[in-house]
Amino acid sequence: MSDRTRRFAQSGGAVLAAAAVLALPLVVTDRYLLKVLTFVGLNVIIVAGMAVLFGYAGQVSLGHAAFTGIGAYTCGFLTARAGWPWMTAVAAAVALSALGGLALALPSLRLRGHYLAMATLGFSVIANIVFVEAKSLTGGNDGLSGIPFASVGPVRLDTPWSNYLLVWGAAVVVVALVSGIVRGRPGRAMAALQGSEMGAMACGVDPVRVKVTAFTLSAGLAGLSGALFASAVGFVSPTSFALETSIILLAMVVLGGTRSVAGPVLAAVALTLLTYIDGLIPGLSKTTVAALQDWKGDIYGVVIVGVMLFVPAGMAGLARAWRRKSRSVTGAGEAA
Amino acid sequence: MGAAQLLQFTIAGLKNGAIYALIALGFTIVYASTGILNFAQGEFYMLGGMVAVWALRTLGLPLLAAVPAAVLVTVGVGALVERLALRPRRAEAPLVLIIITIGVSMLLQSLARHLFGPNEVALPPFTAGPSITFFGAAIERQTLWVWGLTAVALLVLWVLYTRTKLGLAMRATAVSHDSSRLVGIDTARVVMVTFALAAALGALAGVAVAPLTQTAYDVGARIGLKGFAAAILGGLGGPVAAVAGGLVLGLTESLSAAFISSTYKDAIALVVLLAVIFLKPSGLFGRAGREKV
Repeated sequence: MSDRTRRFAQSGGAVLAAAAVLALPLVVTDRYLLKVLTFVGLNVIIVAGMAVLFGYAGQVSLGHAAFTGIGAYTCGFLTARAGWPWMTAVAAAVALSALGGLALALPSLRLRGHYLAMATLGFSVIANIVFVEAKSLTGGNDGLSGIPFASVGPVRLDTPWSNYLLVWGAAVVVVALVSGIVRGRPGRAMAALQGSEMGAMACGVDPVRVKVTAFTLSAGLAGLSGALFASAVGFVSPTSFALETSIILLAMVVLGGTRSVAGPVLAAVALTLLTYIDGLIPGLSKTTVAALQDWKGDIYGVVIVGVMLFVPAGMAGLARAWRRKSRSVTGAGEAA
Repeated sequence: MGAAQLLQFTIAGLKNGAIYALIALGFTIVYASTGILNFAQGEFYMLGGMVAVWALRTLGLPLLAAVPAAVLVTVGVGALVERLALRPRRAEAPLVLIIITIGVSMLLQSLARHLFGPNEVALPPFTAGPSITFFGAAIERQTLWVWGLTAVALLVLWVLYTRTKLGLAMRATAVSHDSSRLVGIDTARVVMVTFALAAALGALAGVAVAPLTQTAYDVGARIGLKGFAAAILGGLGGPVAAVAGGLVLGLTESLSAAFISSTYKDAIALVVLLAVIFLKPSGLFGRAGREKV
């Protein structure tokens, strides 16, 4: 298959997948399952951004749950307490999360090494303290409740179906946007950095600028996911944005693999469904579900270590190796 | 605020600072010999405390045996982590190794919850008795243990690094793995010893402080962060700088809790961390630290 037909087949497949995902509520009528699938979409939005950060810009973040939290609390507070219109509140939520990302990445990325990873860990811990302690803004441990549904003018998205469509509509746009970014100039700049930072600099790529942009983008997308979460669920509390959530998100991108958006997105779908497996397989016994919940941390830990030990490029890397192999086999056939 | 009260806050700061210093030392020696930020460093601290409590309560060991046993078990875990999870990927970019330590950290934390339960626990003090009064401030006996053990650990490290062949090999490995191998140093073994040593330092901090503050399976990340902030403050350079970084961080935290607010005491470490990275990346005592390409 030539590169052009492959590209064509790929975009065709992507359009079909997007259409199938958006048409799913026609088939799925179970409310709980629809809610689970909405959560899957919310994670897809975060992980699409982290795919750029990890797979292309080569940075680790342990703070993306915190950025999601900032988005969720900002949107929740502005719509429920300050009476802002929904659209403006979401825009503010995205802007604030992105700004937080920028403020964190700028000092940490001036240095090489992996100070950013540690700074994001710190950010995650501190953000959680603020979520719990700043009671007048966040409601503390009791959380922030009474957040209104998404609404644009007179249209209120107050059914599970409309919220599913809202979240997945956003997810499709985000994935398309991110795929465009990594295929375009910024993606090539990041690929050059991965090859040789010195060489990339010689070609006029500013490594700090590229990495900071990737981090800010991914923080903003996490904020968007948080804002949509707040309006879809109507309630926000600190436990959703703990460090553990950040590590689970990291497990998703790591498993999904480097230099790919599709890989991490698929891994996000798979690992999120694993968390809500009881909604997926109705006959599952309570003890199995409880055991899975209990061993969640171990599973994610093993996934992270296992992938890094045995397939550091993740599922995407495996797919690339497999494609290369099949191509070289057909190439040999043509030569003979 | 009276002088006695200020002294009390200073003592608390120096107590926490000594703990941060031990964790910072663990970060520093692993970073020196491998270039990895070890995200599992805080878990060694957690394991020290949790294993000691478990040995005391479940195995019924006396405190005197439970404490060294906990340190030894953690040393074993540290060496195993290096051998099984890091050495196979030694040649990869630091990013891969850092992510492995993140995964290991998550795994150790989860396993600790399965083994030791989700509750907060504490050890009895090493020596029972009332606090000692010192110019109107009270010093708990365990605090003296914390300082004493930190001092002993420093002394042992100093002797190891400057007076033994192994220490020489460790210092050589920190300069260059390739050159060290050329002169016959088994760098893989040195890295493993470094991890074991870092685990010992973390576990020591964990057991020393367990009678003073409750510990639980999930304390690793937060204490690891503080230790890292202390290490950065010291410039990720020598052991003395790491200890100084720990004490400075402990004092800063304690005094800001006294004068500003105790709610956000834990936020101080991050503010310090970011401020140092932003303003003086080489740390307070380090040399020019900007990494070359």
